[in-house]
Amino acid sequence: MRRWALVLALFALLGPACGGGGGSTTSTAGCTGKVAGGPVTVKAWFHSGQGSERTTITSQVAAFNASQNDVKVELVLLPEGNYNDQVKAAAASGGLPDILDFDGPFLYNYAWNRNLVALDNCISPDLKANLLASIVKQGTYAAHFYGVGTFDSGLGLYTRKSVLAKKGIRIPSGPQDAWTADEFTQALKTLQGAGFKKPLDLKINYGQGEWYTYGFSPIIQSAGADLIDRRNYQSADGVLNSAAAVQSLTVFQSWFKQGFVDFNVDDTAFLKGQSAISWVGHWVFADYRKAFGDDLVILPLPNFGKGSKTGMGSWQWGVTSKTKSVDAAWAFINYLLKDQQVLQMTGANGAVPATKSASAASTQFAPGGPENIFVQQLESSAVPRPQTPAYPTITLSFQKAINDILNGGDVKAALDKAVQDIDRDIKDNDGYPVKT
Amino acid sequence: MISSPTKNLKTRVGQDSLVPWLFSLPAILMLLAFLVAPFVLAIVFSFTNLRLLSPIPLRFVGLQNYVRVFQDPIFYRALGNNLLFVVIVVPVQTALALALAVLVNQKLRGVRVFRTIYFAPVVTVMAVAATVWRLLYDPDAGFINGLLGAVSGGAVHPNWLRSTSTAFLAIIIMSIWQGVGFQMVILLAGLQDIPHDHYEAAIVDGASGWQQFRFVTIPQLRNQLLFVVTITTILAFRLFDQVYVMTSGGPLDSTQTLMLMLVDVGFGRQRIAQGSAIAVIFFLIVLSISVAQRRLIREETT
Repeated sequence: MRRWALVLALFALLGPACGGGGGSTTSTAGCTGKVAGGPVTVKAWFHSGQGSERTTITSQVAAFNASQNDVKVELVLLPEGNYNDQVKAAAASGGLPDILDFDGPFLYNYAWNRNLVALDNCISPDLKANLLASIVKQGTYAAHFYGVGTFDSGLGLYTRKSVLAKKGIRIPSGPQDAWTADEFTQALKTLQGAGFKKPLDLKINYGQGEWYTYGFSPIIQSAGADLIDRRNYQSADGVLNSAAAVQSLTVFQSWFKQGFVDFNVDDTAFLKGQSAISWVGHWVFADYRKAFGDDLVILPLPNFGKGSKTGMGSWQWGVTSKTKSVDAAWAFINYLLKDQQVLQMTGANGAVPATKSASAASTQFAPGGPENIFVQQLESSAVPRPQTPAYPTITLSFQKAINDILNGGDVKAALDKAVQDIDRDIKDNDGYPVKT
Repeated sequence: MISSPTKNLKTRVGQDSLVPWLFSLPAILMLLAFLVAPFVLAIVFSFTNLRLLSPIPLRFVGLQNYVRVFQDPIFYRALGNNLLFVVIVVPVQTALALALAVLVNQKLRGVRVFRTIYFAPVVTVMAVAATVWRLLYDPDAGFINGLLGAVSGGAVHPNWLRSTSTAFLAIIIMSIWQGVGFQMVILLAGLQDIPHDHYEAAIVDGASGWQQFRFVTIPQLRNQLLFVVTITTILAFRLFDQVYVMTSGGPLDSTQTLMLMLVDVGFGRQRIAQGSAIAVIFFLIVLSISVAQRRLIREETT
């Protein structure tokens, strides 16, 4: 008798736990056009990355709160290292805030799981037209607009003009005449001979995480391969483990085998001059610029056969289905997208402004400016990370493969394993059906 | 009024059997809610397709999760590493702890300072200690290679955490350093409990220092040693923090552990169901080893 009561009690516990994993109560209505019912307090989560970003968002929230009386934003800063994990845990336990920022490609999974509210009737047509095409593209899932970034990203090879000139290494002028992979490998060899013991900094110190996918998937894309077959997002087989992918990552592995790569434990390989080339994103620009001034130059990633490719997408804002007021949440995001605010943020973190008008107003990104290459790349050679709810698994599997490869593992075997993981995940989720 | 003594006695007996239950009720409820229920849930989940975040309806998939775990080469790698860790760490750490306990049990001036020093790593947060050790293990700028280089004249230069042949060894060394103080304190308490007249009697019988240690100290420490061995075994199976921080299972899965795999599959890849299957397997392994240990060496009741 008593035993049965216990079993029943346990199943009573089990019931809600199962339900909780699935759909959550959603407010999919979107915006009504005005914030109803006096001052509304909304909570916003932000990844606390670089110090300058942190200071900027804090002052932006203060300025927004002071600028009007309808909406009050409460900002919560969470450590960046495991930010995605924290969001995932909050989504699973129903503890999401009203407003969330998240690393771009996770949007599709959150939207698919109905954690995000569609913002189609929130954003004004003028603002949408003013956004960079890459921002709109990445904020859209299943024909609805779910998220918007105030900046986009840039990825490149940071180096010093003087160092290359001294060794007679060609300096490419833009993505269209990037170094070939062979040329790049040869340059590394030359630089090693010139006294740079470990000429290449790949920011391996960031560790196995989103950086590995963001930073190194352009390698296989430049060779003509990809993370997944983008025609229907149902399989990675024959794409991620194709001959082109294996070949290009074998070249990548050879840089490690030849001892070109600095493991950069203290994050200063390039700044202290141990490395001559640093393969990294826009976020280091301010620090590197301060150290090397006008000698610093940003070059496109090497071309593995099908043209130099680069990553795109950065942190985006979205409104969660847990919010009390979509209008109040949107009011804050809308504020962050004003040119002045966008420029304040991109001035702090070196990222590409998300609006065309802000980009035009910035000398840094205008033609001839030191970071103009990032704008050029976004217009020509940037590849979005796969726009599918399977992204979390794709990125974890690829990261694992990269980690195995840079540690000397068999390239084909590592990629086959990743393909098996990805395809199995898609199948387990019934192909991630789009429900509207 | 005449009271019936037998009735009073009865009610008191009735109360007596209820009161202990009432007192333990909060603890029992907590154990049920936070230990038993989650475990039962894990068993149930392990037969479903449950995912952390997914609108796809729950369904039972039979043994699929278990089959996948047993087909995964990483599982065997992780299990092998856990066993290797236990086989090396349990005896080495226990022996070291005993040696340290005997050392700091001397009646010398300043011995408290040494006790504190040996115990300090235990109270350090593992993640912090692991971060510091990652810097110590740096092949070029780290202290350990600096020391090895100075001693060997540059001949020994292991690439600690980045080489498949040394990464797990590096984890083991660090773990022993971190854990040995805890065992030392338990053994030290045991040492101080040994009545001094045992030693006096041994001396009268003409026992040497080693004989005193072998025939008085060790048998008297039996229960503490048993406890230390059991608890170290269980903790060794739960190896996670230092690996997560220092290598995240790499290079090439050479430092993979069951716990790491569980977190990666269940949380990282959102496959709660398969993670639950790993948890159930993990539980059965640890349980059977603990039971076997208890059978082999029964605790003496003193």
